[in-house]
Amino acid sequence: MKQTRFLVNFLLLLIVQICIANFFRLSQYVMLSILPAMILLIPIRHGTIPTLFIAFATGLAVDLLSDGLLGLNVLALVPVAFCRVGIIRLVFGDEIFARKEDISVPRQGLWKMSVAIIMAQALFLIIYIWADGAGTRPLWFSGIRFAASLAGGYILSLFVASILAPERTSGTRR
Amino acid sequence: MVDERKIWAKVIGTAIFVLMEFAALSMLKHSGSLQEIWISKASHRVMAKVWGGFDNIGRYFSLKTENQNLAEENAMLTEALRHSQDLIQKASENGLLTDSTTVFSGFELIPASIVKISRNKQHNYFILNKGYEDGVRPQSGVITPSGIVGIVDAVDRHYSYGLSFMNSGISISARLGNEGAVGPLTWDGISMDGAVLKEIPLQYKYSPGDTVWTSGSSMLFPPDIPLGIAGSSKVVNGAVNEIQVDLFQKFPALRYVTIVSSTGREEITYLENLESGEEEQK
Repeated sequence: MKQTRFLVNFLLLLIVQICIANFFRLSQYVMLSILPAMILLIPIRHGTIPTLFIAFATGLAVDLLSDGLLGLNVLALVPVAFCRVGIIRLVFGDEIFARKEDISVPRQGLWKMSVAIIMAQALFLIIYIWADGAGTRPLWFSGIRFAASLAGGYILSLFVASILAPERTSGTRR
Repeated sequence: MVDERKIWAKVIGTAIFVLMEFAALSMLKHSGSLQEIWISKASHRVMAKVWGGFDNIGRYFSLKTENQNLAEENAMLTEALRHSQDLIQKASENGLLTDSTTVFSGFELIPASIVKISRNKQHNYFILNKGYEDGVRPQSGVITPSGIVGIVDAVDRHYSYGLSFMNSGISISARLGNEGAVGPLTWDGISMDGAVLKEIPLQYKYSPGDTVWTSGSSMLFPPDIPLGIAGSSKVVNGAVNEIQVDLFQKFPALRYVTIVSSTGREEITYLENLESGEEEQK
């Protein structure tokens, strides 16, 4: 039940991301994405390999169904999946793996959750902006785009965290 | 046992990650022209670094042969220099020498060696160990004493990527005999030392065995570099001759080359742009 609800929420958020990519292009300086948070919040019982496949499929779905470059979201999202365990270990510590506990704002706190989301979001945006510009954009442009996208993406990611958090999907707190 | 399983999971995870990134780069390369150029440049750079490393190792073990070849070439050049000095002395004694008489005047020469070369494709390429820090520019010619090797296409800091003459997309301007007709010379696409000289008007008579030279009508190569020997010919569309050429340049044994770059290219390009701009205004 818990897994099904997570899957449904994940798919709904994927549709939201496709809508953002197609209809909410605020400016050339802002690229909003909730994909890094979605990957970060996959339950930690799923190891790196399944997460890599989920990230690949998710990125590909967004690339195919939005008006962008095919492969760009995949290129940026797969490294987030690859580094996910490292980010979680660095921010939340090893105990979370020992307890097999899923990450969420109520359990780990807003501060730690924010650091993890910003790290995942930053990794995604660095690769995305770098590959999207293909070495033709000046550094100041990429810098502004990175900062604006990181700020926008962080706020959206907090909503994603509240939707995908296990407390919300299970309806109970341990 | 558990540790071993973890290590294997990490190795497999890393391999899957690398494969997925390659797949993403491949998709990206085919979806945008900017990205295609960017990824191609990056892959050339990586390829040059990798092959540069392998080449250094390979060269260390073939130093003896290289030294022998260089000694032979040195002896040949010394002989040629003596011969030239005799000719210059005789010419100056007869008052025939002018100050502007120099070999390859108007071209800058940069010695380089080949780091990697492909020979078994239709679009062959090579990578040289000299880049823009050494003065190499794109659209420079690459030659050896035996003929031409190709054209520099892209230049990085320490390496250059060039299109080999053994590339179906390359044609160079060549002249048949000392004062014969000029036509485009292209690789025959089959052998490593075969080429075809095209568009030679029927009224120009030639004999099999005549030498084919660079015409010098492009800014890529200096004139009068011997390229090969004319062989059999056939008439195409009843209007022009197509002549088989046996190249002097032997690509399998290629290692040391010279990059030739026209020193007056900027001026000529400027004049061409000026002329085309005036025509557009008219």
